[in-house]
Amino acid sequence: MTTLLKNGRLLDPRQNRDEIGSLLIEDNQIVEIGSDLEIDDADEVYDCTGYWIVPGLVDPQVHLREPGEEHKETIATGTQAAAAGGFTTICCMPNTKPPLDNAALIDFLMDKSASPGSGGVFVAPVGALTVGMKGEKLTDLYALKNAGIVAASDEGFPLQNAKLMQQAMEFCFQLDLPIMAHCEDSSLAAGGSLNEGGMSSLLGLRGIPRTAEEIAVMRNCLLSLNTGCRVHIMRVSTWGAVEIIRLMKSLGAPITCEISPMHFTFTEEAIGEFDTRFKITPPLRTQADIEILLQALADGTIDCIASDHSPHASYEVDVPFEEAPFGAATLEAIVGVTLTKLYHANVLTPIQTIDKLSSTPAKILGLEAGTLEPMELPIAQVAVIDPTFEWSFDRRRTSSKSKNTPFHGMRFKGKNMLTFFGSEIYRDADFPSEARYKSAMYA
Amino acid sequence: MNKHLTAIRHLALTEIEELLELSADFKSRINQDKAVPEIKNKVLGLLFFEDSTRTRVSFEQAAHFLKLKTANFAATSSSMNKGETLKDTILTLRYERLSGLVMRHRQSGAPTLAAKFFGGPVINAGDGSHEHPTQALGDALTIIERKGSLKGLKIAIVGDVEHSRVARSNYWLLSKAGAEVRFVGPRTLVPESTTYLSAQVFHELTLGLDGVDVVMALRLQKERMKDGMLSSVHEYAKMYQINREALQFAKPDVLVMHPGPLNRGIEMDDFAADGSSSVITDQVENGVFVRMAALYWAFHEGKGESQEKPTSKKTAVKS
Repeated sequence: MTTLLKNGRLLDPRQNRDEIGSLLIEDNQIVEIGSDLEIDDADEVYDCTGYWIVPGLVDPQVHLREPGEEHKETIATGTQAAAAGGFTTICCMPNTKPPLDNAALIDFLMDKSASPGSGGVFVAPVGALTVGMKGEKLTDLYALKNAGIVAASDEGFPLQNAKLMQQAMEFCFQLDLPIMAHCEDSSLAAGGSLNEGGMSSLLGLRGIPRTAEEIAVMRNCLLSLNTGCRVHIMRVSTWGAVEIIRLMKSLGAPITCEISPMHFTFTEEAIGEFDTRFKITPPLRTQADIEILLQALADGTIDCIASDHSPHASYEVDVPFEEAPFGAATLEAIVGVTLTKLYHANVLTPIQTIDKLSSTPAKILGLEAGTLEPMELPIAQVAVIDPTFEWSFDRRRTSSKSKNTPFHGMRFKGKNMLTFFGSEIYRDADFPSEARYKSAMYA
Repeated sequence: MNKHLTAIRHLALTEIEELLELSADFKSRINQDKAVPEIKNKVLGLLFFEDSTRTRVSFEQAAHFLKLKTANFAATSSSMNKGETLKDTILTLRYERLSGLVMRHRQSGAPTLAAKFFGGPVINAGDGSHEHPTQALGDALTIIERKGSLKGLKIAIVGDVEHSRVARSNYWLLSKAGAEVRFVGPRTLVPESTTYLSAQVFHELTLGLDGVDVVMALRLQKERMKDGMLSSVHEYAKMYQINREALQFAKPDVLVMHPGPLNRGIEMDDFAADGSSSVITDQVENGVFVRMAALYWAFHEGKGESQEKPTSKKTAVKS
């Protein structure tokens, strides 16, 4: 079985490849790539003229909600949404119910995500750092690592105890396991539901100050520098956090960081009249922050992009603002919003865009993904993106079980058209049917 | 289109003026024992999720003057305690055919949510730290009665601005009407982040009161001590109490106001609360007339229809 992706713009950040050419998949593996590929016959041919052929996207942060909150999302619907979004590898956050704090739950997640009915993407679990994510006692990280976790995190319940965090870093350094740190000082953030600033004073809602994030970023960076443990800072949202990360990287701390597209797209004003779709953690900030965040994306201080896909049922978000949960369903909007706000706005080159959506997150988390190089990966992971396709994001047409998305109704330029994990796992309705055919020889 | 009164922030100056003119008209009619319009065949739901005697009675009284029937819901007996979501409660009231809602809730924005699902007019009777529109209207009417107009007046709002829905509604109303609003209080309760409310901020009481026409003291909530925003009530009173000494810095004809309930001896001393400058009882009384105006305004169908204005006698609002 051979599949030819023909005549597209090949973008592989790992190899710094940017050329028009073709890519051949044989028996689920990439076997040839290049501009001089003289193959016209394959079982299946996809004409990718005008499209980007890129390594399947890698998402460091997705909430699949199963087990425990299947009314929001399931492993099946979440992975289907990922495939539709162009992702081939996603990291599942541990804040399920119960949390992913033991090897049995990791086994369950990996089995279920690989079973028929799921979206066909690889799910890399992130294990809880403390038992029950309660911040009291470290989990059995050695067993979790052997079960397959790629990182440890207490996610939305960040470890407040600095001593315990230091010990966690010592263990994780020894296990060569990165810690993903959502950075928030809970004494400063407690009770807050949006940025402390103009909108919080306007709406009479308790704000979360930027210092809540920055103090925790600083602490975690210092502990990382001190222990040598790799720390991945999740969801950077303030210009101050960027400057701290820049400084700590220059001092040699083994840190990386990510941003969610919400934080470079929307300011706190998007909340308008108590619109809970814009209740995000950390909260949406200001235009001054966005300007620094965009610079930091361009200069590499911000390493990668995470969807922070956080689905919630409609009855959970149609409530007064302070009662609403944080987070939004985003997986299927990531390509659209990232290309619109970063590539088309000349913040990132095509190679940089794909690097932050695929190669770098794969590298940070030690995942087999993020390259188009032949024979490099056991199974081909490829996405085909139409960088100029203009469309309106419509939550009614998404695969995710939840529709709590801030991107509903937004105009995007750029869309994922095809996703391959070995073979095709997603083909967009807007991919022209005549562009996919069986070559004459095999017809 | 339903007319909601969820926030003064959303009102145009012309709407504010319309509401205040209606209020003044209703007040003179009631005082002269003349007829006021009647709102017939409608039932108003009074939905108070947070305790309030003053505001609820004031709305009930306003409804009685307008011959508008009311249905009362107390939070303790409502289905919210049985786990129903606010949205479902609102939908239930909608299909029980209530015509309008007056709503108080401890969450900022709850009436905005209700307005989205109710299908009839929703009047905010105080939501969290967000707004309390009818309080601001009553305060404005009180000031206008004494000063003739709001334009150009210097008005100091003193106390816990950050957590006060009264402060927010008053800020919007007074600044839209051309008054100069000042916020006075400690940095923990009047933080810099009130930047979207472009009032002048003073942390020193005497500077804040310098030359003002009106002083509005806000109620101090006991929780602020627990939150560590104030060390003690005593210290607050020492620094920010409106009293004889402090009032010497204001204009001689200054008006002293308080939305109630008053913590006597904390926000104000007896001299300020009971002196000739105090208009606190006027605020309470005017509260009824502005709530009449708010109900009439909300139930009054959109402009351009050939309905009688309340200035002509025996006007009834048709359903």
